[in-house]
Amino acid sequence: MARRAGGGNDIQWCFSQVKGAVDDDVAEADIISTVEFNHSGELLATGDKGGRVVIFQQEQENKIQSHSRGEYNVYSTFQSHEPEFDYLKSLEIEEKINKIRWLPQKNAAQFLLSTNDKTIKLWKISERDKRPEGYNLKEEDGRYRDPTTVTTLRVPVFRPMDLMVEASPRRIFANAHTYHINSISINSDYETYLSADDLRINLWHLEITDRSFNIVDIKPANMEELTEVITAAEFHPNSCNTFVYSSSKGTIRLCDMRASALCDRHSKLFEEPEDPSNRSFFSEIISSISDVKFSHSGRYMMTRDYLSVKIWDLNMENRPVETYQVHEYLRSKLCSLYENDCIFDKFECCWNGSDSVVMTGSYNNFFRMFDRNTKRDITLEASRENNKPRTVLKPRKVCASGKRKKDEISVDSLDFNKKILHTAWHPKENIIAVATTNNLYIFQDKVN
Amino acid sequence: MECALDAQSLISISLRKIHSSRTQRGGIKLHKNLLVSYVLRNARQLYLSERYAELYRRQQQQQQQQPPHHQHQHQHLAYAAPGMPASAADFGPLQLGGGGDAEAREPAARHQLHQLHQLHQLHLQQQLHQHQHPAPRGCAAAAAAGAPAGGAGALSELPGCAALQPPHGAPHRGQPLEPLQPGPAPLPLPLPPPAALCPRDPRAPTACSAPSAPPGAAPPAAAASPPASPAPASSPGFYRGAYPAPSDFGLHCSSQTTVLDLDTHVVTTVENGYLHQDCCASAHCPCCGQGAPGPGLSSAAGCKRKYYPGQEEEEDDEEDAGELGAEPPGGAPFAPCKRARFEDFCPDSSPDASNISNLISIFGSGFSGLVSRQPDSSEQPPPLNGQLCAKQALASLGAWTRAIVAF
Repeated sequence: MARRAGGGNDIQWCFSQVKGAVDDDVAEADIISTVEFNHSGELLATGDKGGRVVIFQQEQENKIQSHSRGEYNVYSTFQSHEPEFDYLKSLEIEEKINKIRWLPQKNAAQFLLSTNDKTIKLWKISERDKRPEGYNLKEEDGRYRDPTTVTTLRVPVFRPMDLMVEASPRRIFANAHTYHINSISINSDYETYLSADDLRINLWHLEITDRSFNIVDIKPANMEELTEVITAAEFHPNSCNTFVYSSSKGTIRLCDMRASALCDRHSKLFEEPEDPSNRSFFSEIISSISDVKFSHSGRYMMTRDYLSVKIWDLNMENRPVETYQVHEYLRSKLCSLYENDCIFDKFECCWNGSDSVVMTGSYNNFFRMFDRNTKRDITLEASRENNKPRTVLKPRKVCASGKRKKDEISVDSLDFNKKILHTAWHPKENIIAVATTNNLYIFQDKVN
Repeated sequence: MECALDAQSLISISLRKIHSSRTQRGGIKLHKNLLVSYVLRNARQLYLSERYAELYRRQQQQQQQQPPHHQHQHQHLAYAAPGMPASAADFGPLQLGGGGDAEAREPAARHQLHQLHQLHQLHLQQQLHQHQHPAPRGCAAAAAAGAPAGGAGALSELPGCAALQPPHGAPHRGQPLEPLQPGPAPLPLPLPPPAALCPRDPRAPTACSAPSAPPGAAPPAAAASPPASPAPASSPGFYRGAYPAPSDFGLHCSSQTTVLDLDTHVVTTVENGYLHQDCCASAHCPCCGQGAPGPGLSSAAGCKRKYYPGQEEEEDDEEDAGELGAEPPGGAPFAPCKRARFEDFCPDSSPDASNISNLISIFGSGFSGLVSRQPDSSEQPPPLNGQLCAKQALASLGAWTRAIVAF
């Protein structure tokens, strides 16, 4: 059933669904903070600022009338994290879900890790579609019968019931992070995972909650000497001993856990020298890496900084093999973006299943795809205006300066409150999930 | 890059961001504040360079116009009061051209120039120092009057501790200062007058006043490529290199806060947010009493004692809890700032220590401390007036160059 995962321009993207409230008045708790497909693509999880996780499940395709792929419908909703208060520091701990990562499925249940700033939780999502009936221990109204009145032994029988999806927290991994957790990543051994905050990375075993091992610590002895923080971390998809972490200075370090217990010394350092002609007040901010993702093959990794997406070959440290400008027209607007805090937005990026196309978000509810083979790129918009199913999305264009052509949008009319920070690509199909502030859009390639 | 904001507004905006981050939900975001501090540093470097260049130009004009003896008197006046409250210096936007009421403006301008100059010296020291063996620290470096980086070799020949002499005229002029020639980077400005040295003042504990030991973040150290000299803003390299000097321009500690660092279990007593070592660098610092030890070590930080929490759980291993806990809510003026960890302090590490100062002290000295030192302004100073604080921040140059972490 796998469609040709072709280039971003060869396929035509169509609107499929949109989830979330329609009104413009966005409740803060509804702001989507993370989006993640599971390993099969059948499930799509979102986390929001209110600490909730919503899981969508793809309908089984109707093989006869397969004019579109199955729709995603709500499968489970649960409150993953609650706001907490750290009395010692007089700090409130936000319940916002920073990341969700799925575990590969081993049995009938699904497992995922969700994290807020301080605590990681392992959730089990299981279905219940049968229930035991036929007990003779209770009265009609539910009160237990007097045991002396029970004279027969009746074995209950499982009868079908309406599907119920239950989410239960199986492990809670707490108290290991002083700073705000920004990443979690499950190892390819499916037994361990890492969690990264601004200054440290810890290694956990999924079964053990009262202990974790610190594998990276970049906290300087004197905090006055702090010059960079960890911004993202991920395990290699195939090598269970390898992981990378990115920094606010635009560097990526690859570490091998076999080398030493504390991986403070990197095995590889990926850094591109700064172009001095582009130096500005904000150079440090825009070079800070907001996301790092390995390709599915494990040969490449992709990093996202404020203005660009870079693809690195793990065998070459001194510069990326490909660089794509996401919204270079913003370079002259950095002052205003600094004033309104948009320059601190952390955009994520993702690969398609075959590692041939990469995608990332931008402002005005635009998102961008870059085809690595054809070197073409496309800009699309997630908007309710196109919300008839199977409507093909029209490519958008931003006019940087000069004469604005028809259908182009000038930089000054971009809405910087409408930002797409989180996107996800189905691991096997050309289905993408794009999160605007409080809505989740699902697009598919056009099926004839 | 087209930028609608000048350096000063950027500084105000940045300070406002840092301040408001303290009250944001979820606690202070280390990453964002680190980035903001980079912007602050960049803007400040630009501002200082521009300011310095401008004031220097004006002073040069002034010198050419006035007879020499008169000029020295003026300078004497200016230097005799380096501890003047910063606000007395009229830090308006750069005033181009020296026309109009030059006489009235000049003392203030010279005072600014002096302060800027001092700070600039220390910047330059740091740049130069990387290519030199550690010359006699504060003194020689500070005596390098406006030395461009290229004069590296010449620096070490300067008479040491010129700065230790009182700023009263003759001794300065008598000193054989090298007319340092720019090396690789041609300087647009000629050498500043010889009297523009770091004066010895009991309340101006710059690096040169502590010949015995360097402060925790001693100026002479690190960096950089030469061309971070007083070049005009158009020079591409000027952002880099010059790291802020850690000196404090002489305002005293007067109140205490006790900070518990749960990470290291160290209790630190903080004096009004100024790093005590700065004040105590001077033997005349009254609050330390006589024979204060060299800065950075032992009691300079106030009393320190090891604190052993009752439970040895991971949740005790939390950072800076005591600091934030001790902080009075609402950002009162004497909120604590984190101190350097003196048990980790090593004098030899100061070349690295200067490679820092990224996190701005928004407590005490840097920000609300400035607010508390309001000049004789009649109206209630708005605490979050970024504009006002920015001016003061710039004026009391050393105060917030220290990288104090608020986390």
